[in-house]
Amino acid sequence: MSTSVAEHGQGAGLSPEHGGHVLRVAGLQSEFRSRRGTVKAVRAVSLELEPGQRVGIVGESGSGKSAFALSVLGLLEPPGYVVGGEVILNGRNIAELDDRQMQTVRGKEISIVFQDPMSALNPVKTIGQQITETIRKHQPQLGKKGARAAAIELLRDVEVPAAGRRIDDYPHQYSGGMRQRVMIAIALANQPNVLIADEPTTALDVTTQAQVLTLLDRLVTERGTAVILITHNLGIVAQFCDVVYVMYAGRVVERAATADLFAHPVHPYTEALLRAVPRPDQLAQGPLPSIPGAPPNLAEVAPGCSFESRCPLGRGHKLCRTEVPVSTAAIGFGSGGATAECHFAKERVAEYLDGDATTA
Amino acid sequence: MSAAAQARTTWFERFAGSIRALMRVLRIIVRDPGLAFAVGLILLLGLIAVLGPVVWNKDPLEIDIGNILAPPSASSPMGTDDVGRDVFARFNQGARISLAVGAAVVVIAGTVGVLIGIAAGVFGRWVDAALMRMVDALLAFPALVLAMAVTVGLGIGLKTATVGIILPSIPFYARLMRSEVIQVRSAVYVEAAAALGAKRGRIIARHVFPNAMTSVPILAAANFGFAILTMAALGFVGLGAQVPTPEWGTMITEGQQYIVTGGWWVSLFPGIGVLLAVVAGSLLADRARDMVDPRRERDI
Amino acid sequence: MLKLVLTRTAASLVAIFGASILAFVLLRVAPADPARLLAGPFATEEVVEAQRVALGLKDSLVSQYFRYIGDFFQGDWGFSFSVGRPVIDQIGSRLPASIELGLYAFIFALVGAVICALLATYRRRRAVDHTINGFALFGLGTPPFWLALIVLLVFFGILDILPGPEGRLSPRQEAPPEVTRMYTIDALLAGQLGTFFDAGKHLLLPALVLGFAPWAFFFRLLRASLLEVSGEQYLATARSKGIRRWTAFRRHALPNAFLPTLTAAGLIFAALLAGSVLVESVYQWPGLGALVRDGVIEQDYAVVQAFILIGAFAYVVVNLVVDILYGVIDPRTRTGSAVTK
Ligand SMILES: Nc1ncnc2c1ncn2[C@@H]1O[C@H](COP(=O)(O)OP(=O)(O)OP(=O)(O)O)[C@@H](O)[C@H]1O
Ligand code: SF4
Ligand SMILES: [Mg+2]
Repeated sequence: MSTSVAEHGQGAGLSPEHGGHVLRVAGLQSEFRSRRGTVKAVRAVSLELEPGQRVGIVGESGSGKSAFALSVLGLLEPPGYVVGGEVILNGRNIAELDDRQMQTVRGKEISIVFQDPMSALNPVKTIGQQITETIRKHQPQLGKKGARAAAIELLRDVEVPAAGRRIDDYPHQYSGGMRQRVMIAIALANQPNVLIADEPTTALDVTTQAQVLTLLDRLVTERGTAVILITHNLGIVAQFCDVVYVMYAGRVVERAATADLFAHPVHPYTEALLRAVPRPDQLAQGPLPSIPGAPPNLAEVAPGCSFESRCPLGRGHKLCRTEVPVSTAAIGFGSGGATAECHFAKERVAEYLDGDATTA
Repeated sequence: MSAAAQARTTWFERFAGSIRALMRVLRIIVRDPGLAFAVGLILLLGLIAVLGPVVWNKDPLEIDIGNILAPPSASSPMGTDDVGRDVFARFNQGARISLAVGAAVVVIAGTVGVLIGIAAGVFGRWVDAALMRMVDALLAFPALVLAMAVTVGLGIGLKTATVGIILPSIPFYARLMRSEVIQVRSAVYVEAAAALGAKRGRIIARHVFPNAMTSVPILAAANFGFAILTMAALGFVGLGAQVPTPEWGTMITEGQQYIVTGGWWVSLFPGIGVLLAVVAGSLLADRARDMVDPRRERDI
Repeated sequence: MLKLVLTRTAASLVAIFGASILAFVLLRVAPADPARLLAGPFATEEVVEAQRVALGLKDSLVSQYFRYIGDFFQGDWGFSFSVGRPVIDQIGSRLPASIELGLYAFIFALVGAVICALLATYRRRRAVDHTINGFALFGLGTPPFWLALIVLLVFFGILDILPGPEGRLSPRQEAPPEVTRMYTIDALLAGQLGTFFDAGKHLLLPALVLGFAPWAFFFRLLRASLLEVSGEQYLATARSKGIRRWTAFRRHALPNAFLPTLTAAGLIFAALLAGSVLVESVYQWPGLGALVRDGVIEQDYAVVQAFILIGAFAYVVVNLVVDILYGVIDPRTRTGSAVTK
């Protein structure tokens, strides 16, 4: 796996003129309702994914990453509700489909890998039963035997040793890393175009993390699967993703090609994230660094920029306190389509361009 | 500040603190309809038990052959039974008996069970093994069957029946306390080693006590209902209170043969009494458990 | 696996041993005159003396205990003076009626609990959940014998749509040919539909009343278990495969939710056993429970004592079977962990 910042083969960078998106999310909104009020967990998030592209989503805990992923798949359970937006998958809006219609979409066109492999598998069903379930659902023509053969093949593919024997084991007989491989096998069983991986390695130890990530990298490259990788780990983003979305308080506050984001963070939140890591080579490991201050309460939307109370740049500015910043194109960098949600985005881009010009 | 003054302030602060705690409890009760209902029921039954026989001063045992099976009326709100006794007077007296039995079972079984559990947990080894085998033997009987065995063996009556209900209640307290002691014990060994000189028993007590303060009363509330229900069942079978004692279960039996022949009131009211008392106990236990462990109260 | 069966069985044997000592102490050592207790208040002194000899009351406590246990396991459960038959014959003739009633009560409780638990949790409707929960609270708190009387009053006394307290069949209805001695089954086997419906009508009220408390137990357990399980991630995994909500629930949540409720089987058995003593006599149901209550009323304690021992023994056996079954069904105890593999 490549370890330098976003240099691998798949069409790197953002290119809006490149029309064919496998997935285009527009203005997705979801909320959790409770007696104590409504938490607006996802506040009009948009995202584009080209075939085979890898998009990373980073953001601190509670910024709405998982809620976003579940909303895309229509898997948000009460008290969570999707309240607006479009999810165009392979050309049709799946946000409008009902549960019955979604059956043919989930697991076939789009699938997901969850964070905790310990709880994501049913403890009283064998590994084989849980893999064949998705194969039999979407490839009924294979039959029982065929599905089992395909499941063994998948287990081999995700490098589970003695797959033919261990297919009849129960989840508790597998280690955490092996279970996550099984989850990946389940997700990729029907060759979906889009895979959402919600912190797939967070629950694993560091060595296993690297192995699972290498495996995921190989599998999606072979299959040409587009990936949305949700993570806390900037190092993983640097290694794995073409484009990065930075989420803060339910909003995408910045998006850029990976190399650009690391070189020129436009949004002060992104900059703070990167600055909190002392040296660039330490990016490769460790969770998201912490930033002083607390994220805002998503139950009560205050006027102004949601990052204002923690923003070194905007603090005290009247504009930041009263006006919600809109998404601003950060034009001028190597690839187009980068945006940042900050009143000072243009100025910051200009500064970078000046700086680059002087150093060049 | 003198030592005495200091003692006074702490005393006063403690007093104010407990008042505040009481207010907090009251607020919790008022906000939760289920809890308020349960507490209200228990207060109501308690009121009936204490004041009922005083206010409604008819003799629950007085036979009046001229007034047999009279339906409810102003002079006897719950009617009269097959020998003309006033059912309302008997109902009030029955509340006294039932609540007293419930309280006795909870206090005695609770004390014995808690002590057994603590002993088993603290001493471990053979003490634990021996005590737990005894508890297992008690648990090898269905509760009512054990109560029946006690009354058959020791002689039928209200007192032996109460003993018969206490025995199957003990294991629950014992097991609860034992597990709480064992839970903190392993952690406490570490602390005890660090805090040289501190008595192990005292440290365990300090850790066990706060948990037990919530879990034992919850169990007691459920046990209270169980005791009243079982006493009524024993009375109905004929192994509990004997006629003419106005125990609710016995009263239901007395009305059994008149239920469809036009004397429904004799059995109906004591049954409602049992029902309310048991529901109050279970509901109280349920709500308290949900409060202690909010995870149980899922948003649905 | 074998180890599991053996350790559980050993633990049960210890419990039975403790229980037998307790029963021995309560029923043989504690009473002032156990022989008189068994022979009944009207027995002559010679009869009581013969009983004393039979019980070996003059021997040491240890040999008395072994005789007590030996008698029990040999089926020598004493003599019922009120009917003039050995207790074991009495119980044998009463058992089928109780088993039939208990079986229907159990089915009502089980099916009702599953349906209600699903209604209360699956769609997360608060009002439905609260209603059923409240009902279950009544199930736990209602004295079964009282409820038996009240429904009798309503459905027989007032509405007159179900039979009164007249046992298993209408007075003029003949019993079906004996096969299982459960009338509904025997009637069907013999093709006697009329008898079947008559038996069913007579079963309905007692079975519903007897099943009420077990239903409440089981419902509460299953509901809590389902709530616990319905938040599990593996349900989301199943749904992410394109499995429909209900199918995912049925396939993945239900088996997981059922497993812990198995442990309640012992409690449910106990509720049915105790309930039979409390409910049968109200309906003149000729079962074991009615026999026991009659025994108390006639002071025929041989019957009552036999019931106590059998009840405790059956209870331990049920708990043991359930314990082992639990181990067999749950793959986490059946198979080793990743470490041992
Ligand atoms: N079931 C729920 N009920 C109520 N609020 C919820 C629920 N699940 C999530 N939330 C709220 O929604 C917001 C977004 O949560 P989400 O799980 O999407 O965050 P996340 O970015 O995935 O965090 P993490 O990095 O910890 O996984 C949080 O404020 C959280 O409190
Ligand atoms: S808008 Fe203002 S407060 Fe918000 S990030 Fe930009 S500078 Fe900071
Ligand atoms: Mg998350």
